[in-house]
This record gives sequence, C-alpha cells and structure tokens, in this order.
Amino acid sequence: MIYIFLGVIVLGAILASVRFLLGPTSSDRVVALDTLTTMTTAFMVLLGLLFNRYIYIDVALIYGVLGFIGVLTIARYLEGGL
Amino acid sequence: MEIIVVIATIILIIAAILTIHYKDLVAAVVASSVVSLIASIYFYILQAPDVALTEAAIGVGLTTIIFMITLRKTRRMEE
Repeated sequence: MIYIFLGVIVLGAILASVRFLLGPTSSDRVVALDTLTTMTTAFMVLLGLLFNRYIYIDVALIYGVLGFIGVLTIARYLEGGL
Repeated sequence: MEIIVVIATIILIIAAILTIHYKDLVAAVVASSVVSLIASIYFYILQAPDVALTEAAIGVGLTTIIFMITLRKTRRMEE
C-alpha cells in the first residue's frame, strides 16, 4: 500500500518537474517549487513510515515550515513588497 | 527505491544545469532550491536524517531568503 502512495507521489513530482522545466515565467517555476516541496514532505513522511523510524518525521516537519517560508519570500519579492 | 534514485538524479542534473543557464536570477534561485531539495532527498534515502535536516534548513530556507534580499538590492536580470 505504501508503495502505491510512493508511486503516485513520484508521478506528481515528475509532472511538477516538467512544469518547472517548461514554465515560461518565473511564477510558474515558483509554483512548481511549492508543489515539489509539498510532495517531498509527503514523501518523507511515507518513508519514515516505511523505515519504521521516529526521527524521520522531524525532517518532514522542518521541511514543511522552511519550504513555506522560502516560497513566501520569493512571492513577496515578485509582488514588489520585500 | 532505485527508480526513485534514478529519477531524482535526472531532475538534480537538469536543475543544476538550468541554474547556470538562466538569465532571470529569480528562476536561477528557484532552480538552486530544487537542487537543494533533491540533495535533501538523497541524504534522507541514505538514512542520514540529521544531515537531511541541516540541508533542508540551510538550502531551502536560509539560502533562498538571503538571495532574495540580495536581489532586492541589485538587478534581477543578468547581462
């Protein structure tokens, strides 16, 4: 069951990477980065479940918070308010 | 798990090449953030969660914020 979820997440990551490669503007790339960050968080939680280790969840937690702050900074720059 | 490593390697190499090639520096910062993200996944799969934690904190958070503050004070497009 976990492998099916991992396959779905990898497929979504590939599609987000295609949008990252083809994106005409910088805003498309920022949105693709945000999607990749979210999928990486879910990927890390699932791998922590698969490896049956408790500390792996902390990495996903830190990643979710800091990825959000990074994307927020880029969006703030593109909007002109930084 | 090997398939995930192969796909991550392909995305890592393409994003690293695009980081050098972009003239729009915001896109270059986003591409370098993708490189750091894939490197963090590498450390995670190799079962080093503390290194992955440091890579995530520095690569995604700190580097992006510092580059954006730098880009505010300079130009966006590279000549």
